Amino acid sequence: MIGELGLWFKSKFRDFLYACGFLLNVLKESLLFLRQRQVGFRVLVLQILFTAVEALGIVSLISLALGAVIIVQGVSILPKFGQEQLLYTILIIVITRELGPILTAFIIIARSGTAIATELGNMVISHEIEAYLSVGINPISYLVVPRFLAVTVSMLLLTFYFNFLGLFGSFFITQLISPIQFGEYFRNLLSSLQVVDIVSSIIKSTVFGIIISFTAIYQGFKVQASSTEIPQVAIKAVGQGFVFCILADAVITLIYYL
Amino acid sequence: MEELISLKEITVTAQSYEILSQVSLGIRRGKCTIVMGPSGCGKSTLLKVAAGLIVPDRGKVFWEGEELSRLSEKKLRQFRKMNGFVFQDAALWANRSISENLALPLQFHHPELSASEIDRQVNGHLARMSLISSSPLRPSQLSQGERKIVSFLRAIILQPSILFLDEPTSFIDHEMLEKMMKVIGEYRERSCTIVAVTHDAHLTSMIADDLAVLKEGRVLASGQLSEVRRNASREVSAILSQVLSQAATYDSDLLDLLGG
Repeated sequence: MIGELGLWFKSKFRDFLYACGFLLNVLKESLLFLRQRQVGFRVLVLQILFTAVEALGIVSLISLALGAVIIVQGVSILPKFGQEQLLYTILIIVITRELGPILTAFIIIARSGTAIATELGNMVISHEIEAYLSVGINPISYLVVPRFLAVTVSMLLLTFYFNFLGLFGSFFITQLISPIQFGEYFRNLLSSLQVVDIVSSIIKSTVFGIIISFTAIYQGFKVQASSTEIPQVAIKAVGQGFVFCILADAVITLIYYL
Repeated sequence: MEELISLKEITVTAQSYEILSQVSLGIRRGKCTIVMGPSGCGKSTLLKVAAGLIVPDRGKVFWEGEELSRLSEKKLRQFRKMNGFVFQDAALWANRSISENLALPLQFHHPELSASEIDRQVNGHLARMSLISSSPLRPSQLSQGERKIVSFLRAIILQPSILFLDEPTSFIDHEMLEKMMKVIGEYRERSCTIVAVTHDAHLTSMIADDLAVLKEGRVLASGQLSEVRRNASREVSAILSQVLSQAATYDSDLLDLLGG
């Protein structure tokens, strides 16, 4: 029993070290990416198109709905306690600091995390990765780095978009339900917004982007011999993406309040 | 003659099964080495290890006397650039068209080439194999034989000096086969080093200088074709006649060559 536990721990530790080495390699190649030739940039642009641009619709819907719900709830409940002014602080904390980055991360995990793990897993099975190697193209710099950078950059851009639409766009939806003065709304909102809120959002979205892309890429490359492994790694990419993003979210929030 | 690639005591395992076991083999510069053996004996793995696509669990691979795993990134890129590899299952990039499959290595290694020059080279290769009309198609839209030919064209698009061929002639019709043989013959005349895994007696008789016979992950015999023929044990002869029996129905060149 203890022996088996020891072997399990040893294997997990070896996997962890391998993942750390792989991450370092990806980070190194990412730094070198700008120096490389044009060919990889096309992959980067296509990945940003898929990850960010094609996700705009669902991000818009969720951010508008969330912003509107917070405003409607706040306008209904807070005046009963004489705390109308808290509406804007709540709006900023909930959207900018917390739900903006994490909900955007969930959307990207569900769309791009699964797509990346599945695509890379398929490429391993069909020996396409070996084919890149055989013609002298490093799969890390050509396949991995564009996906890693695209997801990280897209995560940052989509979080900004989510925050912007959640804070400002939802105002117009709210007008249909519970009208608020236009000038008053924006004046109060901007006076409640602090630099730290924006910094927190940037840090979280960048960290989440790194986590999502790396988890999906790592799982994709873990496919070895069979196509039945592909759905398994896709599920792991999603599960681990959620878990690691929530943990990172908690840690970053705790650090802020310490 | 000098060995261009040397494999020293190579062992490759998968799930505790030894695909290759303590294999040593020398590949001579400018010569053609044919690797033969029954299905599942580790021929494709051997080819990939020699090409640096699979890192062995034990043993070393040397290229021009330098250990492959210790090469600098620059030298490793140089090594790969001068290699061409035809995969058993073609391994074309599924999300790219046929012309894009051929163009990518050129775009990557020759950024100085204009798009029109790359198109010219790609179309020239496709036209030679009568595949020009397939250039906008995806690999899944081609037959297995056509995919194999595209894989061959991709392998030679950078004009390599080492060609690794894994069953290059399988699934290919006679007309295409003749065209491919001609190109392989041209590379051989240019003193390109060729390592081929094949069951094709005609191809073997046409290009073989050296022969390696594998069984269950071990090299049973290797060396110059004439040497292997002279010293062939009963086991080696049995494997060769088994491997070549079907092909020999149509072509007896190699069996004649081997005295079979």
